[in-house]
Amino acid sequence: MRVTDKMLFDRATRDGGRARERMEEAVAKASSGARVVHPGDDPAAAGLVTVARAQAERNDAIAEAAGRAADELNAVDGALSEVVNGLTRARELAIQLSSAGYSASQRSGGAKEVRQLLAASIASLNTRVGSRYVFGGRLDGAPPFDATGAYAGDDGVREVEIAPGVLQAANVRADVAVKGVSGGVDLLATLDALATALEANDPVAARATLDALDTGTKQLSLARTDAGIAMAAFDTSVSASRGARDEARTRASHLTDADVIDSSTELALAQRALEAVLTSTSQGFKLTLLNKLG
Amino acid sequence: MADLLSILSTGAASLAAHRAAAATASHNLENSATPGYTRQRAVLEATLPAERVSNAYIGRGVLLQGVTQARDRFLEAQIPGALGQAARSGATATALQSVSALDPEAAGGLGDALSAFYRAIRAVSQNAGDPSLRQAAVGASRTVTLAFNRTRGALEETRTGLDAKIAGAVTEVNDLARTVASLNGQIRTARASGAEPNDLLDARQKSLDRLAELTGATPVPTSEGDVSVFLPAGSPLVVNDRASTLSTASDALNGGHVALWLAPPGSAPAALGSVGGELGGHLDARDGALKTAVTGVDTLAWDLASSVNAVHQAGFGLDGSTGLALFVVGATLDGAAGRMSVSAAVLTDARRLAGAASAAALPGDAANFNALLATEQAPLSGGLDAFSTLSQVTSAFGASARTAEAIADGDGAIRDQLVTMREGTSGVSIDEELIELQKSQRAYEAVTRVIQASSDMFDTLLQLK
Repeated sequence: MRVTDKMLFDRATRDGGRARERMEEAVAKASSGARVVHPGDDPAAAGLVTVARAQAERNDAIAEAAGRAADELNAVDGALSEVVNGLTRARELAIQLSSAGYSASQRSGGAKEVRQLLAASIASLNTRVGSRYVFGGRLDGAPPFDATGAYAGDDGVREVEIAPGVLQAANVRADVAVKGVSGGVDLLATLDALATALEANDPVAARATLDALDTGTKQLSLARTDAGIAMAAFDTSVSASRGARDEARTRASHLTDADVIDSSTELALAQRALEAVLTSTSQGFKLTLLNKLG
Repeated sequence: MADLLSILSTGAASLAAHRAAAATASHNLENSATPGYTRQRAVLEATLPAERVSNAYIGRGVLLQGVTQARDRFLEAQIPGALGQAARSGATATALQSVSALDPEAAGGLGDALSAFYRAIRAVSQNAGDPSLRQAAVGASRTVTLAFNRTRGALEETRTGLDAKIAGAVTEVNDLARTVASLNGQIRTARASGAEPNDLLDARQKSLDRLAELTGATPVPTSEGDVSVFLPAGSPLVVNDRASTLSTASDALNGGHVALWLAPPGSAPAALGSVGGELGGHLDARDGALKTAVTGVDTLAWDLASSVNAVHQAGFGLDGSTGLALFVVGATLDGAAGRMSVSAAVLTDARRLAGAASAAALPGDAANFNALLATEQAPLSGGLDAFSTLSQVTSAFGASARTAEAIADGDGAIRDQLVTMREGTSGVSIDEELIELQKSQRAYEAVTRVIQASSDMFDTLLQLK
């Protein structure tokens, strides 16, 4: 084939351009660590990574939400534990002061302690996590219990996502656990009744509260058990969601991240190719009659 | 009879022939780097008829028969198509490659914004009455709308940018068409004098090549020696020495993007059915993959807004408001992503974010927020959820870009091969031309010796006594 000078220059331009383009791509891949920058680099991966990243984000958000729900239930459990302790002490006082041999003054002192236990229980049941009153049901913007123990919350069950599309109850219904709707006892009213009996120096009435105090303690224990089960569900959700998040992130990484060894090898090869093009081009340019003719 | 004077006269004619050969080689050397230049060759022939002297014919030197161009008609017939096809696929690939709106690594893209939106809804679903979480959810909603606006805007900007390229190319096409028409006339006139106007032919070929690149036009030589030019659908761009005029006009049926019109000489403009080359490539990208991507993003915005709004409108805000849409996308699917915004009512008051299923259970009722979360994985009109739909749009665009690039690589290789082969035939080799120059110089020197010898012979004769 006849070879002209322009062919040499065109080839040098074309091959040099390609070699530099390959070099640029190799440098970009090695320095950014990304294999898929434009959807055209790998259309399937570019699409799949969108879904993988969304799954990672979704699971991360679910883990975060479940973690917060578990923390909240922990606060609920702590509050219920305080109330249980108060009930236990109240029961002790009821047994003790309903016996013969105690004076009106001693029973009056006991009544004061029971009133303090009632106030402390109400304070515990008005616990807030963030800006929420956790025992208020859906009416969680104001203290659910007033000073008399009257309940201003509702029967709402708060639900939190533990897996995509799966909801888990995340609160203790105070109307059931504390106020005893659905066949239980009203704990706060029982404490009030005990205090009133002791203030009236009425050991019989004080003794009459013992059954309610026992039932109330069991009622709270049941609520704490339910809270514990929910906490376990949320803890499981946290670890499962984090696992799913990490798996999705790994998948996304495999889809779009450059393999370090591959990209380093490609960089070295691209460097070699560019050097070869430049060397052969410069050698080709040297061979011309222009330098030989006198 | 051959006499000394005839030797002198043939010597002078031969000198002129070799000088022309040297000049041709010089012209080639001077144009060795000129784009579109075709090497020329001085054709020297022995002067006929030879002179009869007694029983012999004595030659009468050398004559310049003409200066020709080195062209391979077989290659030349293939090159316009290759140039047009390579330019077309190259323009498409370049346009699609320049789009970064759907890049998977781009921070703040649609996928990220959608994830952030649902994350914010998840957070507020845990404390529906919290003003800061509500404000964050409204902010995330706004981010989603801005991401849709940006993505569609970037895709549309690319389409608009292609309109500008088309308009620029049309101006160049018209200039070139007029140039070819004018050169047809000049070449015809020059040929009437009996010589081949090689440099005019080069100028015309260069314009024809560029026209092929711009439009995919095919040159058709005529019996008069002109070259007429026809666009891919057969519309005439140049006929003899008359050029058609290409123009652009806004196409209301295609979002106001420009359409091509062609006005043959003396005729009214008519919509141009088909065009190749760079213009065809720009149109392929603009009305192909880019338009599909814009429609995909619009559909996603429309479907997502419909899905979210249906739930949001059924819920209640902290202020008891209900029936409010969260996203506003307008009345038509076309352009939905560009128009998408957060409804002013919610944007100005985050309490109106409808997270409750009942107005009687405020502020803690988050049932409607949970229902909003369910839209994340709910199938949209295409049967896929929002993220899978976005994934499909991205993959489809990527596949188009990749295909265009592969085709462009293939077409480019074919074009390069043909152009290289043309260069092999028509290009200037400096080595060859230097040799030609040396050859002409040697021949010229030899002829001067002939003249010197005949002069000496004259002197000898004149000295006879």
